[in-house]
Amino acid sequence: MALLEVKDLWFTYPEEKRPALADVSFAVDAGEFVALCGPSGSGKSTLLRLLKPEISPYGRRSGAIFYDGSPLADIPPARCARDIGFVFQDPDNQIAMDRVLGELVFGLENLGMDTGMMRRRVAEIVHFFGLEPLLDRKTHELSGGQKQMVNLAAVLMMEPRILLLDEPTAQLDPVSAKDFFNMLRRMNEELGITVLIAEHRLEDVWPLADRVIMLEDGRLRHVGKPREVIGKLFTEGDESFIDYLPRASVLYHQFTVEAERERIPITVKEAKRWLAGLTVVEKAEGRSIKDPRVNECPDSENAASVGRFKAEARRRREAPVLEARAVRFHYRKNDPPVLNHLSLKIGVGERLAIVGGNGTGKSTLIKTLAGLLTPQSGTIWFKGKKVKSEPPEAIGYLPQNPKLFFMEETVEAAYRHALERCGTSPALLEDYLNFFDIGHLTARHPYDLSDGELQKVVLVCLLLERPDVLLIDEPTKGLDPAVKKRFGKLLKTLNQEEGLTVVFVTHDIEFAAQVATRCAMMFRGEITAEGDPHAFFTGNAFYTTAVGRITRGAGVPEVLTPEEAKKRWLVAKDGS
Amino acid sequence: MNGGMNTFHPAVPFFFYAGGAVLIMVARHPVFLAAILLVLIGHSLVLDCGRTLRRWWGAIVLMSGFFLVITPLVNRRGTHILFYFNGRPVLEEAVYQGVMTALSLAALLVLFLNYNQVITPEKFLFLFGKLPQWALVATLAVRFVPELQRRLGDIQTVQRARGLSVTAGPLQARLKNGLALVQMLLTLSLEEALQTADSMKARGYGTGKRSQYNPYRFRPADRLALLFLAAVFGLALFGWRLGDLVLTLRPVLEPVFLHGREWFYLFVVGIYYVFPLFIEGREAWRWRSWK
Repeated sequence: MALLEVKDLWFTYPEEKRPALADVSFAVDAGEFVALCGPSGSGKSTLLRLLKPEISPYGRRSGAIFYDGSPLADIPPARCARDIGFVFQDPDNQIAMDRVLGELVFGLENLGMDTGMMRRRVAEIVHFFGLEPLLDRKTHELSGGQKQMVNLAAVLMMEPRILLLDEPTAQLDPVSAKDFFNMLRRMNEELGITVLIAEHRLEDVWPLADRVIMLEDGRLRHVGKPREVIGKLFTEGDESFIDYLPRASVLYHQFTVEAERERIPITVKEAKRWLAGLTVVEKAEGRSIKDPRVNECPDSENAASVGRFKAEARRRREAPVLEARAVRFHYRKNDPPVLNHLSLKIGVGERLAIVGGNGTGKSTLIKTLAGLLTPQSGTIWFKGKKVKSEPPEAIGYLPQNPKLFFMEETVEAAYRHALERCGTSPALLEDYLNFFDIGHLTARHPYDLSDGELQKVVLVCLLLERPDVLLIDEPTKGLDPAVKKRFGKLLKTLNQEEGLTVVFVTHDIEFAAQVATRCAMMFRGEITAEGDPHAFFTGNAFYTTAVGRITRGAGVPEVLTPEEAKKRWLVAKDGS
Repeated sequence: MNGGMNTFHPAVPFFFYAGGAVLIMVARHPVFLAAILLVLIGHSLVLDCGRTLRRWWGAIVLMSGFFLVITPLVNRRGTHILFYFNGRPVLEEAVYQGVMTALSLAALLVLFLNYNQVITPEKFLFLFGKLPQWALVATLAVRFVPELQRRLGDIQTVQRARGLSVTAGPLQARLKNGLALVQMLLTLSLEEALQTADSMKARGYGTGKRSQYNPYRFRPADRLALLFLAAVFGLALFGWRLGDLVLTLRPVLEPVFLHGREWFYLFVVGIYYVFPLFIEGREAWRWRSWK
């Protein structure tokens, strides 16, 4: 019998006409790992919250939810709290206690468990998670990844049978996200805990999933095993979900007419095996890549882009718009420097992506460039002038958390502030609202917007001040793949049509590879490598896109995205 | 800090510091107070190599110095005139009084600094948060403070980029921005607190009677230490009742130097305050001999 069963569920938020969930029916068996995919606002969070009575949203609902054979509403609260665990998106806000140990036992205290039992649980779970070093630490001192791990452990302490997760890794960097998924996989495989997870990190979640549920506009679009769903999407020619599939499958799809469901690759490993059976040649050259010499000399596209890159580098050296000279920055006197004699030149009209691991000083660098932090030594130069204590107005800074941008009660008031500050004409605002397609949001409170909408509103506010340079901290955090893609296109358009220089720091390599004209990598407070994105990422073995990892050393022309492969590859014959 | 006083159940160090404060307040004798202060400073040095003390040194000297100087100038009750200052007599009794006030103030401050290092807020809550609800509210508040600090810093940085500064510009604009900043901090915090509330509810908060995790065990060593401290404390109080901890100023000024039974009670009070140092020392000695 199914552990969790949803039958004909409809749900409408108060004062809304359109239902948030419409006619949703599915069942989850005990021990299954189910991934919930779909755009932001498709009802993923609503569905997950309806499955957890304590935090169910208010609204009109019909249909039924059964847990373990009885209606969910009839389950006693204590059992509900114990059996159904929930992990939220934001790592900070779900922590209630001051110390890690206190956080772990919080749920058990709520259930009235005695200390002896709690000690035992703590010992078990801490061991399973390897949390010993964190146990006595204060929760606010932990990194985002550690916090989310503590949150997962705190839920697991209660020995849940089913775990609901609402985009748990959206705020984490790729390495922490991988750790988190590894832990989820272990919990699922070793402890048999049922998992239902809404997630945008497709490369990580698809290989783990037993089943995938795809939601769109509150309706179930596809339910099934990952390969079945992908195969069905391909045969139906449904392009709307293409951004939600793992890159390996998309790559496969572009070169296969008749998809054999069993052979659809999901992981890098599977895609490499599939590629090994193919003979791929470069379209323009028409020569076989199986020729071993070819990999050694740069192919034509690379050569052309490298040439372009060199010309730009010359221009940048001569007239940088923004420059950091030997910048050194510490947050506290005795801490090691976050930025260590860092020098960087940014040319006019560039799209520069700064990538790098957690804690390498990316965010600090972008704040320093914006003139918001004053370095202890070294200088920042903007348009040939030294930046003093006040941040230059012609530099726009889009923070990691766009909510921090709003002091005003409405979006409109925020626009007004920007207009007044720089004396821009309201006609420009109209233009931007149309261009970004956010005219309908002006009367709303900023906190009521989705992450993607919020980012666009902040971007409009910044653009109204007519900046020369736009600095963006983690532009893709919390965005769904489709919104991310549109945001990337938008940045490109602004850059190409308005000549706006764009600098962003990101963990998202796919995004950097698609949007940037130059990439720089930070390590220990310094820029350790930089280059044209194509050459840069094809040169990296790990720090590259999924398709980059698939094609590296596979005896095919190295590409970074499925789209690029489509442009450049000619599949001569199927090896099988 | 691990080891030393931290190996005990929180009740032991708490009793020590509470009793320590009482003895400082009842002892009115420069020699006793000086001895106590010296031992407490020694303990502070052992606790963190003098880091806290260095930070507070200025404040302690300033406050004690104030009483040291001001008491002889304003207190004119006594018979032994030392000299005249601005035409007013400065009395020997008043000088002793000033020395004692300064010493006891300094001793109390150092004791409190040490207390803060040993009795963390968690231990305090554990001891006095027998009402779980109260303890929970306090813990939530403790967690909230660094969150507020972090958010305020973030908001300030971002708003500076928008030209809204609280550190530069005309005072009126700064005030206006400051108020807006605080308002925004509250809105943002409430918004985020909703998520915390959800997370707490999801983990069964409010489903029934809460229990409290007890991270400390009361061991036989704790009982022994508590009994010992209580006995020494009782003896010292007895000495106070006998007047041996007090320098009599009026009607007849007692000699400052100790005599007779007072030596015994200095020893008793000394033992009380040396107790934590003895524990730390024993710990260090154990490590040395273990090697």
